[in-house]
Amino acid sequence: MSEKIEKSSQQDLILDVRDLKINIELDEGTLTAVRGVNFSIRKGETLGLVGESGCGKSLTSKAILGINDKKCKTTGEIIFDTNDHGMMNLLDLKPKGKEIREVRGKQISMVFQEPMVAFSPLYTIGNQINECTRLHITKDKKKSKEISLEMMKKVGIANAEKRYDQYPHEFSGGMLQRALIAMALVCNPKLLIADEPTTALDVTIQAQILELMKELQKDLNMAILFITHDLGTVAAMCDRVAVMYLGKIVEIAPVKDIYANPMHPYTQGLIGSVHKIGTKNQERLFSIEGTVPLALNLPPGCGFYDRCHKRIEGVCNVKEPELTEMSDGHMVACHACAGGCKGCSQGVQTTENRKGEEEDV
Amino acid sequence: MEINHLTKDFPSKKVCVHAVSDVSFEVNEGETIGIVGESGCGKTTMGRCVVRAIPATSGEVMYYPAEGEPVNFLTIDKAKMKELRKDIQMIFQNPYSSLDPRMTVVDIIKEPLMANFPKMSKEEMEEKVMDIAAKVGLNVSYLKRYPHAFSGGQRQRIGIARALVLKPRVIVCDEAVSALDVSIQAQVINLLKDLQREMNLTYIFISHDLSVVEHISDKVGVMYLGKMVEYAETESLFTRPRHPYTEALMSAVPVADPEIKLDRIPLAGEIPNPANPPSGCYFHTRCRYCKDKCKEAAPEYREIETGHYVACHYAEELMLRGFNYEETADNGN
Repeated sequence: MSEKIEKSSQQDLILDVRDLKINIELDEGTLTAVRGVNFSIRKGETLGLVGESGCGKSLTSKAILGINDKKCKTTGEIIFDTNDHGMMNLLDLKPKGKEIREVRGKQISMVFQEPMVAFSPLYTIGNQINECTRLHITKDKKKSKEISLEMMKKVGIANAEKRYDQYPHEFSGGMLQRALIAMALVCNPKLLIADEPTTALDVTIQAQILELMKELQKDLNMAILFITHDLGTVAAMCDRVAVMYLGKIVEIAPVKDIYANPMHPYTQGLIGSVHKIGTKNQERLFSIEGTVPLALNLPPGCGFYDRCHKRIEGVCNVKEPELTEMSDGHMVACHACAGGCKGCSQGVQTTENRKGEEEDV
Repeated sequence: MEINHLTKDFPSKKVCVHAVSDVSFEVNEGETIGIVGESGCGKTTMGRCVVRAIPATSGEVMYYPAEGEPVNFLTIDKAKMKELRKDIQMIFQNPYSSLDPRMTVVDIIKEPLMANFPKMSKEEMEEKVMDIAAKVGLNVSYLKRYPHAFSGGQRQRIGIARALVLKPRVIVCDEAVSALDVSIQAQVINLLKDLQREMNLTYIFISHDLSVVEHISDKVGVMYLGKMVEYAETESLFTRPRHPYTEALMSAVPVADPEIKLDRIPLAGEIPNPANPPSGCYFHTRCRYCKDKCKEAAPEYREIETGHYVACHYAEELMLRGFNYEETADNGN
């Protein structure tokens, strides 16, 4: 039985990122922006990638599409289940070659952060959505317009025929984000990368867009890699969450697990620093001291060492922790949680206690 | 401080945009007033009018100085203005664009002192700058650097130091933490709260982030299309909202807890054009309780309970959904 499940989950795998590293050469030295990231996405799943600015989440997502700057030296493997060739390592493909173009925009597409910046102000919205269909689906202008219009209606743009011929400046932020989603989805991609798609929007519009993305995901059965720093939207959108810090994934777990039982001190800090609306908590917010260090000439050991309140001298600043599975699907990279050394079994104990409580209930 | 019937119009050739119309509220010393609303609802414009960064079209901002008679901050003459301006300061939204890149941090923080106390000795100024910089948690040895060498959170601290150096009584924070990462946001919010306690500051905290506002404010005002639609104590507003817009706004906020299933109240469409607002109640085009009366007559802004003001015809009848503090607290445990 379990073998079957394993097999099916293997088959369902749509994207598998293995040991992805991105280095950027600067005058001052090498910036290790992404330092060995592993994750995978199954069909129809939403994986949230959470972290503060500068932690490498955007670089990771752009590496999947191969649209990073030339300066970024990328190594590792990005295995994607392509339509024609089966499993393929996208990093082997030439960044400007024909094969990656088949994938980019058609099978994997991206929704960018700032809808106002993502569109060219010189072309009409219809023209820009059309570009994608003409490249990937049909050369027939009439047909491609039909497809584009249909998609615009699907994402809830009222008056699509009229809107088709308008320019980006005539759209409001929310409408423009819808148009951007339409552009990303028009070729029915298998994987959608959404890089902070709602950060620039008002809460009411944000709620609309999130609902829309969920609906479309169900309709089209696509997987979403949802990149954000907002833990609220993650809770509403994702099935699994990966927390990134300083170019590494420090914790990855199903969404319910990560909020109920965050293990890594960084994750705990992140969740603690958000005021939960509707709770009458007027006390001080938990805050993580200091700021994210620059990934230049990093010292050995855990990247979070300087800011961590559970750090163990002589362990955490000597050896880098590895991602280890603590419970089903819940992986953490932290010495203090792993319980492999003296005086730091606290993390493990609390999780065991909690488990016990749950069983009692 | 008391704000009465504050109005700001931006006239253009064809139309007149009523960015802020007839907003009134009171601010007591040592309090934090949160102002929330969607972008384009006029909350920033209101904040700027209060500090007189832009002139208001009509209305008054009554300010009660520590000594002397209350004055209308919007109409006082230049000399008096100079005297009182140091009492009311502002922290801006974007820490990347509100600091002059060609000035060192010391100069940035010192600038308000030079403008307001030209006769103060250099040593005294330096001392004051160091004092305030240490208070907001800036490393004093870095003060000779330029803003580009600082991170977002540090820059926001510089902005706060600049506002505080004159020892003001009222600070208008316009989206002071919106541009920051969550962990830094928490640091800055804690800092603002500590400073408030220490220096007995009064904040007018403008933000679109309801959870931040709920955390920091004693009273909250909700703005829609330039009008205040609801104003009440924080707890009263969040547990028992009286205006349908407040209810919808609150239901749209994503809660950082997957266990809480959101029952969103969909708010169709977008904020209407303030140059051409709808008739009657401005909110009727998006309101799910809309009745005929709403389309015709504008509702009166009235006190429905002690300290709870609302502008809706049916505020008394509607049973709107808020947050149940006790229930969510149990869930949290």
